[in-house]
Amino acid sequence: MGVFVFLPLVLPLTAWPIARLAEQHLHPRAATWLLTGVAGVLAVCSTLCLALLMVVGTAQLPGNPLPDGWSDPEVREAVPYDEVAGKVAIPALIAVIASCVRAAWRHHRVRRRAERALEGLPATPVAVVPDAMPYAYALPGRRDRIVVTTAMLTGLNSVERRALFAHERAHLTHRHHRFLLTVQLAARANPFLRPLRTAVSYTAERWADEDAATQVGSRRTVATAIGKSALFSRGAPIATLAHATGGPVPRRVAALLGPAPAGRIWPPVFTAVGMAAWAAAAGTTASALSSANSAITLFFILHAATPM
Amino acid sequence: MTDRNTGGTEQSPRRRGQGELEAQVLAALRQAPGAVTAAWVQERLGGDLAYTTVMTILTRLHAKGAVARERAGRSFEWTAVADKAGLAALRMRRVLDGESDREAVLASFVTALSARDERLLRELLAQEPGDEEH
Repeated sequence: MGVFVFLPLVLPLTAWPIARLAEQHLHPRAATWLLTGVAGVLAVCSTLCLALLMVVGTAQLPGNPLPDGWSDPEVREAVPYDEVAGKVAIPALIAVIASCVRAAWRHHRVRRRAERALEGLPATPVAVVPDAMPYAYALPGRRDRIVVTTAMLTGLNSVERRALFAHERAHLTHRHHRFLLTVQLAARANPFLRPLRTAVSYTAERWADEDAATQVGSRRTVATAIGKSALFSRGAPIATLAHATGGPVPRRVAALLGPAPAGRIWPPVFTAVGMAAWAAAAGTTASALSSANSAITLFFILHAATPM
Repeated sequence: MTDRNTGGTEQSPRRRGQGELEAQVLAALRQAPGAVTAAWVQERLGGDLAYTTVMTILTRLHAKGAVARERAGRSFEWTAVADKAGLAALRMRRVLDGESDREAVLASFVTALSARDERLLRELLAQEPGDEEH
């Protein structure tokens, strides 16, 4: 097996170019599905690999409850630098699991707390709260709701408000929070998947923007609504992340002012973009497959070493 | 952020209790004939709560801007400023402030702009002048 055992841990790097290309050239819906799927598969492979390395590591520790076969010389031969790798894998896996559990728990806590904050208000699909801070959120839950502040509404005219509501409704009907949670967990399972998380949070917004544009019937109205609200939200602490390079909002507005994305799922092969996309897709598929292969091989070696 | 810092050591059931108490105190204040003292609120709530607890909650509500207070002699007289919707807004704000990466959970309509973003955005919007009403 040799160093191939470690492949699933570093192969997520190969998804970076595809994230780049998908973000720029695919329809946002296709890009969101594709990138979330890729992130999910690579994260599962990476975690599986880590778990199996951990087994090799723990089997060497004295007093462990695992089958003796797992520390067989044969098994250890399959993993290069087994002593180091195995022992490093233990804290790494613990960190991954703790981080994922924490992220999932926080996800549910925010949703629960936000739902509770709105208790006492009439059960309408849109909750308008009086606040001088302009913000709007889609709040998925037992009863999907859109939360919007009076400050946000006063800054927009009626068509722009429709665009805003259409955008938030698109988040809810397409269950965008599930995509976001998936990539967030994937990014925690393997830090190399972080660019995919950033890419998906952008493509999900773009997806909702395009949906809103179809609903309202004007891409320019959606662009204006986003631009205006971003400008008057400036200074409001709506996001703690500072974007060093061109942030997502100008890119979204520019995309809406440009031509509508083609409905096709994938660019044609015989163009520069198509070639690049296919090459990147092939690379990612190969990585995912070899990740899976490494993980499965390691599993079988361990299985064979265990007397059943 | 503030909620997280001050409430970091508290367990969530207790924090939930605080939220409910705030709503109760605010509801009592809104039924008051005018500016009232903390003792009036305490009595109105049935006297289950210690005077200091009522004072703590009133101070918290005041810090959030949900109630106003005026000095009357040696104590304060309190009036409600926010209603149910206002309290919901304040609570919502607290949820949002407490989460550093809430973008991962709640998809916000817009995210923060850097100075460069702002310039870019203004340029983009300037390309389409006078077309906002269509």
